[in-house]
Amino acid sequence: MTAPSVESVVRTITQERIGRYAEASGDHNPIHVDEAFAQATPFGGTIAHGMLVLAAISEMMTAAFGAAWLSGGRLRIRFRAPARPGDTVTASAQAQSAREDGAFRYAVECQNQAGEVLISGTAEVVAGD
Amino acid sequence: MAAPARVLLTELPKGHEFPAIDLQVTQDEIAAYADAVGDDNEIYASVGLAPPLAIAARALGALLELMELPAGTLHTGQELTCRAAVPIGARLRLTGRIAQRSERAGLIVSGIELAITIEGDDAPAIFAKSTIMSPTKGSALPS
Repeated sequence: MTAPSVESVVRTITQERIGRYAEASGDHNPIHVDEAFAQATPFGGTIAHGMLVLAAISEMMTAAFGAAWLSGGRLRIRFRAPARPGDTVTASAQAQSAREDGAFRYAVECQNQAGEVLISGTAEVVAGD
Repeated sequence: MAAPARVLLTELPKGHEFPAIDLQVTQDEIAAYADAVGDDNEIYASVGLAPPLAIAARALGALLELMELPAGTLHTGQELTCRAAVPIGARLRLTGRIAQRSERAGLIVSGIELAITIEGDDAPAIFAKSTIMSPTKGSALPS
């Protein structure tokens, strides 16, 4: 069985978006929201929450599989590099062979505008009828 | 009543279990999350089901009320397994534990496992594992 194609999702990261995510998630780690603190770190400025960037992958899978993703999706990823305010992040999925149990498997990643991989990993889902 | 003192993540041993936390993620909270991440899929509203990462993020946020992250802590990995969809507004119970703890080269790697169960269900709807890397005292994360 061939895995259906999954449309990419493009998202712009802004400090304002990071701030809204901090409020929504309850994660106010200063590396994300405190510019003065973040400038003194090796990152030299604020970075987006990894889960904010990862949300683009889940959004992409939700758009492709709907409730099947919400009830039976599986993600396994590594955060490779941070996304910063001003970055444009593209989430994409490359179909891999279907598993014997019928689950579709994808290699997923997020890249920034420079082609740097920010997130890489796999997503699996058993498609509904 | 005063909020309980938070413990430092890096001081928690492998096997530590957090007290269970009751959660309810409302429609307004899901809307705020979707707005923040820019997810305009209509399915959340049309079928009343929450984005699983919204639930996981909220669960992590709830744990952050119980523990403190050392400055310089980074989220380095994430696993998420959905066994059932979570209806928006459902009453949830979060349990969590330190499943992994290792230390090397001035860094502590912690694996935090979360299980989120819908009230009335026997089995968790969502399993998640977050891998967190923190500097030990007096060290800094590599640039």
